[in-house]
Parts: sequence; structure tokens; C-alpha cells
Amino acid sequence: MTRLSNILVWILGAWLAVVCWAAFHYAPTAQGFVGESARIVFFHVPQAWVAVVAFCVNLVASIRYLRTRNPLDDARAAAAAGLGLLFSILATATGSIFAKVMWGSFWNWDPREVSIAILLLVYAAYFALRQSVADEERRGTLAAAYAVLAFVTMPFLVFVVPRIYWSLHPDTIINTSGTIKMESRMLQVLLGSVAGFTGLFAWLYSLNVRLARIALRRRQREEG
Amino acid sequence: MLGEALAVLAKELRSELRSRVALNAILLFALTTLVAVAYQIGPYRIHEEDRPHLLAALLWIILFFAATSGLSRVFVKEEDAHTAKTLRLAARPGAVFAGKFAFNLLLLAVLEVLIVPLFCVLLGYSVAGPLGLAVLLAAGSVALAAVATMVAAIIARASGSGTLFAVLTVPLALPLLVMLIQGTRAAAGSAEVAAVLPALRGIVSLAGVTLVSSAFLFPVVWHD
Repeated sequence: MTRLSNILVWILGAWLAVVCWAAFHYAPTAQGFVGESARIVFFHVPQAWVAVVAFCVNLVASIRYLRTRNPLDDARAAAAAGLGLLFSILATATGSIFAKVMWGSFWNWDPREVSIAILLLVYAAYFALRQSVADEERRGTLAAAYAVLAFVTMPFLVFVVPRIYWSLHPDTIINTSGTIKMESRMLQVLLGSVAGFTGLFAWLYSLNVRLARIALRRRQREEG
Repeated sequence: MLGEALAVLAKELRSELRSRVALNAILLFALTTLVAVAYQIGPYRIHEEDRPHLLAALLWIILFFAATSGLSRVFVKEEDAHTAKTLRLAARPGAVFAGKFAFNLLLLAVLEVLIVPLFCVLLGYSVAGPLGLAVLLAAGSVALAAVATMVAAIIARASGSGTLFAVLTVPLALPLLVMLIQGTRAAAGSAEVAAVLPALRGIVSLAGVTLVSSAFLFPVVWHD
């Protein structure tokens, strides 16, 4: 690890610590929610955001793999999917905690809950497919094809289905009229948290890709 | 290209008429499930206000899981019988996909023509807008056949197991299933075709993007 990346990791750690402090002490209490439950938005929304970013990175790496057949691109796609799965689980867990406090039940089959559950299933299916193919090149090709196919169906899940069914879920941050209805300090903390979680994803992703690169080099040395 | 696709479709039909494996699997699965559901629920067990939604959901659960029991065979049987290589030499990838997709579409049409009227009779399901339901069934079949054919191509190159087919298809088809259930409920309650339009728009869009992305992805999967 270079000196610069070391410094960046420390800055990221400090940034996330400040975000945690600001989420509980700087941002005001939101109106219309039970107790302090709305503060979970500072963690839940960034986690859901990172899950979607990971899905996009997975798509780009998958398309690159289909064009180049570079095993590192397949490793990038798998790393992004793995982190996407992790952040989807975290977003589901934090959403469930909020649902329990607000609506009295951890799971209400709300369209947004169904959307994240299906996103989890897609990531799980992606890894089930990867584990069922022994040949590396074929595994990369099939997983990449499935990732692209899954990505094109996602907009229907995220944007169409929640609009067909009535939802308990609070309005999304950028609502249907294209405006942001959030108190200024809350918005600052939320954007700071989104930036922090995106940085966390970038760091974890780069670690995964470095590990994959080392494993590839080692295998190439052993083979050749 | 069209001639090649029709030749692939004719081959599929001849092969299916000889063995009837896919047709028997799909129809027997659907009939067994329908009998079990009808025996347990019948025309009177569900309250009047719950009927439109619950019966629409039951209808699509029966159709969807019956379809997943047989639609994967189009590609799996080529790998099992070691005829995939010959097919690769005999027809272009686009023609193979189009022929297999058309065959799956025909299978779904047969399933729906036989099961939907039986479902209505056995469960006392009165549909106010049969034309709307017919349009919905047609659009839903195109979307489902597109997803199922592409996933069948992927799993045939992987382990080829029916379980993997269900694992990969369910997350991709769930948004479609949600829109189909919503549309069927609307068709059951209104004689106007316009009632199914909100769901129909989503289904047609999903079918379109799946077919277009499959057209690009299939050659990669087929020739990996």
C-alpha cells in the first residue's frame, strides 16, 4: 500500500467517524417519525446507494470482461457483486429496524422491501451461477451475461413496481417532482454519509481487486 | 435469418412431438398444482373482496412455476444429447435464439390456453375484461419466454440443472410477475382494456429490453 493510499484510508476513517457523530448530534430530529428513528436514514440510504453503485460497477466490469476476456475484469465484477450483496444485506437490516419502530413489524412486504429482497436474490443467484461453473473463462462469460441481463430488469424493480403498488416507504430523497425535501443540516449529514460510504466501497473494492490480482499473478507463475 | 429461425423452430416442434417431455412436464405440473389449489380453496373459500388479487396471484404462480419446469429444456437437451455443436454449425446464433424463443412462446401459449379457462372454472374466477386479460397473457408470455430462453442458454452452459434455472429465473422474472398479477387483477375487475394499460406498458417494456439485450448476449453465451 502506498503512502498516499494510507493517508486516504485514515481520512476515510475520520470522515466516517464525523458522519456517525453528526448523524446523532448535529442533524436535528425529523418531524413525523417515531422518536429518533429517522436518524437511521443517514446509514440506510448510503448503504442502499452503495448497493446500486456496486451493481453498476458489476455491470461495467462484466461488459468489459465480455469484450476483453481479461480475468481481472471478471474478478472486478465478482468483487463489486460481493460488496453489493453485503451492502444490500445492511440496507435490508437497517430498513427492517426502521420498519419495526415505525410500523410495528420488521417486514411488511412493502414494494421497496420487495425490491431490495429481489436485489439480494439477484446477487445470490449471480454467485450460485459462478459456483456452478468449474471452467474459469466460461464462468466469467456466463456470470457477465447474467449480470447484464439482471441489470436491464432492475429499473423495473426499482422504478416501475413501487409506483404500481402503494408504498409505506417514506418519499425517496429526490422525490417524484424532482425536488429535495429535507432540512439543510440533515441533507449535509446525508450527503456526507453518502460520500463516506462511497469511499468505503471504493476502498473495500480496491482491496478485493488487489487480492484478485495477486492470486492471478501467483497462478500464472505456478502455471508458467 | 428468418428461414434459419423457422427451421430451428420446426426442429424443436418435431423433436417435442416425438418426446413430449417439455409439454408433459409443464402441463402435468400446472394441472397438479391447479387441482391442489382448487381442492383446498375452491370457488367459495376466499372472501369476495380478496378474490381479485389472491386469484390473480394464484393463477400466475401456477403458470410461472409450471413454465419454469419445462422452458429450460430447449438448450439443456442440446447439451445432454451432444447436438449443440452441430446446431452451432448449422445456424447463426440469432436464428437459434429466435427459434428457441418462438418454441418456448408456443409452449407457454398451449399452457395458458389449457390452464387459464380451467382455473376460471374450478375457482369460480370471473373476468370482466377477457380481452384485456388475453392481451396481458400474450405480452406476459413474450416477456417470460425471453427471460426463460436466455437463462436456459446460460444454465445449459453451466451445470444444466433445473434448480439453477429456477434460482436464476425467479429474481429476473419477479418484477414481471408483480406487473402481471396487478394487470390480471385490473382485467378481472374492469371490462375496459385501458384498465390493464399501466401494467401492460411495464410488461411490454420489460419484454423489449430483455429481447434486445438477449440478442446481444446470446452469441457470447452460445459460442463461449
